[in-house]
Amino acid sequence: MKYVIIGAGIAGAQAAKTIREKDNAGEIVMISADTHVHSRCMLHKFIAGERDEKGLDFTEKDFFEKFNIDWKKGVRVEQVCPQQKEIVLDNGEKISYDKLLLANGADSFIPPVGELRKASNVYGLRNLSDAQAIVKEAETAENVLVIGSGLVGLDAAYGLLERGKKITIVEMVDRILPVQLDVHAANAYQKLFENAGVRFVLGQKASEAVCEADGKIHKITLDNGEELACDIVIVAAGVRPSLACLEGSGIQCDRGITVDAGLKTSQPDIYAAGDITGLSGIWPNAANQGKIAGENMCGGSETYIDTYAIKNTINFFGLVTLCVGRIQEEEGDQIQIKEDKTQYKRIILKEGRVEGVLLQGDISHAGTWQYLIKNKIDVSKIEKNIFDINFADFYHVDEKGQYEWVS
Amino acid sequence: MNECHGCNTCKSADKPLEEFIAGLPMETSHHRVDSQSTKCGFGLQGVCCRLCANGPCRITPKSPRGICGANADTIVVRNLLRAVASGSGCYIHVVENTALNVKHIAQTKGEIKGVDTLNRLASIFGIEETDVHKCAEAVADAVLKDLYLPEYEKMQLTEKLSYGPRYEKWKELGILPGGAKSEVFHGVVKCSTNLNSDPVNMLLDCLKLGISTGIHGLVLTNLLNDVVLGEPEIRTAPVGLRVIDPDYINIMITGHQHSMFTFLQDRLTDEDVKEKAKKAGAKGFKLVGCTCVGQDLQLRGAHYTEIFDGHAGNNYTSEAILATGGIDAVISEFNCTLPGIEPICDELKIKQICIDNVAKKANAELKEFDFENRPAVTEEIIDEIVAAYKERRGSVPMKLMKDHGNDNTLTGVSEVSLKKFLGGNWKPLIDLIVSGDIKGVAGVVGCSNLTAGGHDVLSVDLVKELIAKDIIVLTAGCSSGGIENCGLMVPEAAKLAGPKLRAVCEKLGIPPVLNFGPCLAIGRLEIVATELAEALNVDLPQLPLVLSAAQWLEEQALADGCYGLALGLPLHLGLPPFVTGSKVAVQVLTEDMKKLTGGHVIINSDAKESADILEKIIEEKRQGLNI
Amino acid sequence: MKRIMIDYQKCDGCKNCSIACMQAHRETQGTVYDLDLTDPRNESRNRILKDADGQYKPLFCRHCDDPKCVESCMSGALYKDPESGHVFYDETRCGSCFMCVMNCPFGVIKPDAVTKSKVVKCDFCVNAGGEPSCVASCPKQAIYVEEV
Repeated sequence: MKYVIIGAGIAGAQAAKTIREKDNAGEIVMISADTHVHSRCMLHKFIAGERDEKGLDFTEKDFFEKFNIDWKKGVRVEQVCPQQKEIVLDNGEKISYDKLLLANGADSFIPPVGELRKASNVYGLRNLSDAQAIVKEAETAENVLVIGSGLVGLDAAYGLLERGKKITIVEMVDRILPVQLDVHAANAYQKLFENAGVRFVLGQKASEAVCEADGKIHKITLDNGEELACDIVIVAAGVRPSLACLEGSGIQCDRGITVDAGLKTSQPDIYAAGDITGLSGIWPNAANQGKIAGENMCGGSETYIDTYAIKNTINFFGLVTLCVGRIQEEEGDQIQIKEDKTQYKRIILKEGRVEGVLLQGDISHAGTWQYLIKNKIDVSKIEKNIFDINFADFYHVDEKGQYEWVS
Repeated sequence: MNECHGCNTCKSADKPLEEFIAGLPMETSHHRVDSQSTKCGFGLQGVCCRLCANGPCRITPKSPRGICGANADTIVVRNLLRAVASGSGCYIHVVENTALNVKHIAQTKGEIKGVDTLNRLASIFGIEETDVHKCAEAVADAVLKDLYLPEYEKMQLTEKLSYGPRYEKWKELGILPGGAKSEVFHGVVKCSTNLNSDPVNMLLDCLKLGISTGIHGLVLTNLLNDVVLGEPEIRTAPVGLRVIDPDYINIMITGHQHSMFTFLQDRLTDEDVKEKAKKAGAKGFKLVGCTCVGQDLQLRGAHYTEIFDGHAGNNYTSEAILATGGIDAVISEFNCTLPGIEPICDELKIKQICIDNVAKKANAELKEFDFENRPAVTEEIIDEIVAAYKERRGSVPMKLMKDHGNDNTLTGVSEVSLKKFLGGNWKPLIDLIVSGDIKGVAGVVGCSNLTAGGHDVLSVDLVKELIAKDIIVLTAGCSSGGIENCGLMVPEAAKLAGPKLRAVCEKLGIPPVLNFGPCLAIGRLEIVATELAEALNVDLPQLPLVLSAAQWLEEQALADGCYGLALGLPLHLGLPPFVTGSKVAVQVLTEDMKKLTGGHVIINSDAKESADILEKIIEEKRQGLNI
Repeated sequence: MKRIMIDYQKCDGCKNCSIACMQAHRETQGTVYDLDLTDPRNESRNRILKDADGQYKPLFCRHCDDPKCVESCMSGALYKDPESGHVFYDETRCGSCFMCVMNCPFGVIKPDAVTKSKVVKCDFCVNAGGEPSCVASCPKQAIYVEEV
């Protein structure tokens, strides 16, 4: 049996490991454009100079040798041919498969504003190659412009602060981290970044960007006419699943690759996991999908159940935040807030159920909130302050000593 | 995030106070309840023993005895006796200093403000002396002599101050105390390592310590203070954080030894001293009452209208009082001076002075009270406080609570002033009890703790339940401070009482809860009870009278409780005194005690259930008296 | 694998297990007598929770068969040791993202109190003799090790 995995992110790596655990003899080939296995969530540490390429590796020591995986790095897949059961690489090589996993992730989305897409100093922050290019460009750059104040935009800024750059972040809406946090919690980060020297331009969009003679954009004009000087532009405006190589393959796609509960695509023996499915952009979910796809490629019949993905943790300047579930207030919500000099906690309750939790400053032991939210557990009968609810209220130990939730 | 130190503060019966504390930028004891909420079960049950190097030993099903062989009963009761002896020691220390103060004032021909009380004591003691100063000295000497007797010589005043049937009962049980200080000594010896292991024998010692604590520590301290500080007079007074007037140099007082303050108290209103305050920019000095010594000052407030602005709050309100920023100095002489006030004082530049080394706080200056040198020491204290005022005012934030508390709490109630109010005898009260207009009497005494529902929560809830059942409530101790700040001691609180009690209160213009002042005044409650029993010609356990130390906190409260049990009264506690690990202790305290003294312990932390239990006891006692 | 089993009804909330854990993981040398109980760096990996009825519910890392903390770890710092079955944590690899804190359904994991740059998690006392210190310290045998 020959298993081919496209992509060396967590979904691909997890699938490879799972396959090897199931099938000791099968051949496993992993193909990636990346030349280093790396955790995308730690790219800011590379930009900051805190870690080198090796320090971004999330796999265990000697991963490829240990699991006997043939890793073809630095190559891209040009075409997937389900009829022939083979894939074509950008070096012309053709690789056949018995089972194929598409785990080649997503690409940064560069909006069609001015000549952003054309300029040589405009980067997304998705791959190690992006980070490497940013670091190189930063050697001579002074002004950094970041478009988007989501987690990736702030990551980029956080990393470049270490390099002493002047950073401006442009955000369309009137506040930062609009998807993850409420205004109050977002303001805490805004202050920290501002104290560190970052300038935020909120409620504005880039409307014009023209390449100069050197092929770079040196200023960006905003909706309000303000011009911002820049030597590097980092665009953090979201990602799009990397579907380019699937053209003509007959694999059904929507926003991402369409998969069933077992993560099978519309074509036989082809599976998909991770960001390319568009199911979620969250690490643990991608890991879980990789594992399930791996199992099923070996004949298993696992299903992807733990689909909950509205969750995040944030850690900048030592201020940690956790947010799970809904952030925006709706009619009928009961909002509970607890705040003091070390923490800000906000819970959205609706009809006895927790629909959203935001914890800032202290996120200790907060894992129970995700479980409560995603399983829509009724907490109205628990005679405790809502903030004091914990696993003790749902506690069960099974005969093997594992915890179980009972409610 | 905001400026609050933490929002996990515990509940308070006093909601505005709860909100105030939750919003403070500094930590208080109310913040620490949460992080101390996982209590060690061994400790809670009293079965952890640290009396020797083999320990700590703890009782479990697999280890029912400590290494030495002590079982749960021995360990529990040894721990209890230690606590009671220690608590008794505290009150005996207070009465000793109080008697010494009377003696010194008498010797120096100082002012005797309570001649009536002096004559009453002289007559009880059998002292025939017409010169007030010589008489006061003889009274003080008699008390001191008793305190210093050895353990094997019975104290002389016990019989003179106790009710006949009770005295006979104590004699029969062999629990008449020897010298009060020696009894403490005896108690701590008895519960030391590998000595007594007999739980019942040690429980009898607890009762004995209860008697010496009650009669000498409580009853006599009140009466001796009446002699030199002035007798309580019924009046209304403001209470709560509103009493803090920022125009004055404010001194918060904490402790139990009012007599130690008298010289300072008087000096602060002398013109030359007031001038010092004015020079510093203030209108003068004010004492702000806190804990029991504040209650004592409030009780005698009729004599101190200029210097004393009112009682601000009890033990667990002290941090809030300081956090207002309006206090410039704390003078403490005893408990309950929480260690937790220290960082607050540091932060708000509040000068801390201790005048008794038994209560020396870590960051406070010790200026020991010394009768002979008091003028010089007092001047030093005053100058330091003025300096603190100048240093801190303007540089620390003010967070006053001008609306907190109320202006018309009834105070000044004592066994004498109440009887006077009733027309010179107890008949009107007895008639109301007999007719059922007042179903019974409950003494809700003791402290506030933060674990029986929160600060003052159980005490206040219980009082509301009791008065709704037409049971009149008499209070003494920090419970008074909480109950008054919650508005239950203003005449208008009558509307919270049951219909019969309400009618009585409205007719007399009094609240359904009468405040006797500090915990020491538990001794006054006992005098009232004794006089009622005398008038009815019955023994104390027959009276429709119950005691509750719903939110007992300290070892002293346990010694008080033992006095209540020795008197044969039902004693309710909100939380068990770390005894539930011993079946013998529980059996003796909650059941067998009825046969020994007539009293017993009831443990219940639910206000409604507790009130129902106490009501039932009162009804049974009424039946016993055929009323 | 070996797991710390829990009989919560026996728990008395004495927190001996917590002190033992702090002692086993302290950065300084010494005995339990000189363990600094006020130093925030001395954190316990276990906790005694209380339910609404006041019943103690000990919270100890289960070293789960399917550890959600490991699944969420984007740096490779958390891993399930194939030999012992225990979930170990390599502080040097940790990216301080705290996804594991969010993903442990039982709320076992927390960021460290002082630096907020690593997590505090049970290591089965591999560096302190290999027998969990908490278990040895429990006076009620409410926790005990069993092969599962």
